[in-house]
Amino acid sequence: MADSVSEQRSRPAADAADPATALRCERVAREYSRGRDSLFSRGGDAPTVRALDGVSLSIATGEFVAIAGPSGSGKSTLLHLLAALDTPTTGDVTVAGTDVRSLSSRQRTTLRRDTIGIVFQHFHLLPALSARGNVALPLIERGVSKRDRRARADELLEQVGLGDRAGHKPGELSGGEQQRVAIARALVSDPAVLIADEPTGELDTETGQRVLDYIEQTASERAVVVATHDDHVIDRADRVIRLRDGIVVSDA
Amino acid sequence: MTDGEPTPARFPRLARARAATGIALSQLSHARGRTVLTVLGITLAVLAATLLAGTGIGVIETGQQKFDAAGRDVWITGGPVRFSPTGVGGFENTIVGAHELDTELETREDVRASVPMAFQTVYVKSNETDYQTLVGVGSPTSGGAVHITNGSGFSTDDVHYANGNYSGPMSHEVVIDQRTADMMNVSVGDSLSIGGTTGIARQNEFTVVGISPTFSRFLGSPSVVLQLSELQEVTGTTGTDKATLMTLTVADDADPQAVAADLESEYPSYDIRTNEEQLKEILRDQAVLMAAGGSLVFLALLAGLALTVNILLSHVYHQQREFAALKALGTSSSTLSLTLVVQALVLGTVGGALGVALSFPAARGLNELAELVVGFGDVVVLPQTVLAGGFAIAFLMSLLSSLAVSRRIAKIRPLEHL
Repeated sequence: MADSVSEQRSRPAADAADPATALRCERVAREYSRGRDSLFSRGGDAPTVRALDGVSLSIATGEFVAIAGPSGSGKSTLLHLLAALDTPTTGDVTVAGTDVRSLSSRQRTTLRRDTIGIVFQHFHLLPALSARGNVALPLIERGVSKRDRRARADELLEQVGLGDRAGHKPGELSGGEQQRVAIARALVSDPAVLIADEPTGELDTETGQRVLDYIEQTASERAVVVATHDDHVIDRADRVIRLRDGIVVSDA
Repeated sequence: MTDGEPTPARFPRLARARAATGIALSQLSHARGRTVLTVLGITLAVLAATLLAGTGIGVIETGQQKFDAAGRDVWITGGPVRFSPTGVGGFENTIVGAHELDTELETREDVRASVPMAFQTVYVKSNETDYQTLVGVGSPTSGGAVHITNGSGFSTDDVHYANGNYSGPMSHEVVIDQRTADMMNVSVGDSLSIGGTTGIARQNEFTVVGISPTFSRFLGSPSVVLQLSELQEVTGTTGTDKATLMTLTVADDADPQAVAADLESEYPSYDIRTNEEQLKEILRDQAVLMAAGGSLVFLALLAGLALTVNILLSHVYHQQREFAALKALGTSSSTLSLTLVVQALVLGTVGGALGVALSFPAARGLNELAELVVGFGDVVVLPQTVLAGGFAIAFLMSLLSSLAVSRRIAKIRPLEHL
């Protein structure tokens, strides 16, 4: 293990004002309530679980970072905070210079729209729309015309090797193809940050490698953060942050 | 890998709205089974509302038409018709001296014609059946009071011999409706024994001289029509010359309202009403029934609203992961709401249009059933206001439901569903 817990905690976070810093966490903790012991119990504080505990890190534009760790270590929680899908209980999360905690739900939605591309483990493509329609989805909120949306989506699908599958619906695509559509969708708005949760988790090795190729290609223009159990991802990342019990145990 | 940000359209909001509409339609098209079921639910809600409202209007309109078709201007009764369990005939008809009153009224200049009518329960037997109790109608035989569809009809005018008995010759002619003919297995030219008691019936054999739907439609049950005097004779009311009601046709230049008012002062013991007042009185008597009908319409609307909200909630529930994914990707609450509202309005419009379209065959079916069961159709009428109301219900319910549901979608937390 490269760094001890005490070393990690002392590792200085990058300056949020630095334009090269795309993502930054400072002493971030996230607690979840377990709910009450029983339906009829009264008063008292509900027991809580601390999913993240004092995490500090910074990720620069152009970095391809893998977040690794066993199940329950806090990978997904950290990813959700970095994707502005959640807010920390304490500490600060900054995305492209914007403090996430200070934002309303609507502002966080806008931040995701303008700055963050997300690739879900289970893809979450809209089954009613074609691959092209799914890729073009994030452009709708930006008020892009249909013609431009279509052209942009086709461009992205071509780049991930699915130019001939643009008119197919998710149900007609393989898992690998669906994940590539999800990646194209995440990149269609040219975001400053790409967040991917277990992007190879449901793919065979060969398809996973192809998906990783596409992710890796995008890393030079943006910060890429991937939560993973997959050693292939870890091997190819510029930097690996390991978590255990909500604490960063190594960052190298 | 990418070539930079795409530029916004000239009218970004319009582009967004069109895209949201496209997504909404795609989702409806994709989940066809769910869409069809939702449309069916809304269609049924609209059908329930239009048919119930149409029935209420139909009952009133039919009543009005029957009154208008009767060509009577003024109605005279001796108060409510009461049951008389101890008397012959089962009814206590409250106009006494009907023929005398008839003659008096017809001498008036402002009255063109008067028609006394009586209703009594009578025993009826044919050669092939046992005694049946049917409604006996005493009616004048002239003036087209009874519309004959088969046979020659009555050959003589109604005659009355007062002072306690009917000593003159009786025509012994009867007009029956088709249901009575079927029930008694008789046709024109056959005989029926008719009387207020079985003893009287044994002594009074009548010849069927015609088939007429006039009174069975009015009463909604099988009936036998006799000349008023002969009905009185076979039910033992010749002496008192009783009738249930009298109808008057006023002279061409007379005002029914004025005639009724004049008669009211002249005959204070009778209830005298114009056509319109009589209909209102009948409707007032049916107030509970009408209130029940109104409640049914109201409940149908409530049920339709609950059904539509429920269906839309279910529709949204099945799409919540998709909505959560859209929210996670940065889709605003307003775009999500717009998608939902478009879906709801499409479902409401299609369901409403189908409901309105299906109202016509449904109403025709109900009317045919009513014709078969109670003898008169046109129970359900569908004026444009009812159809427009039915469609508006579907549209507005869908809009209101989608607005209510879109509040939930606007607050959806992606992490809870992804």
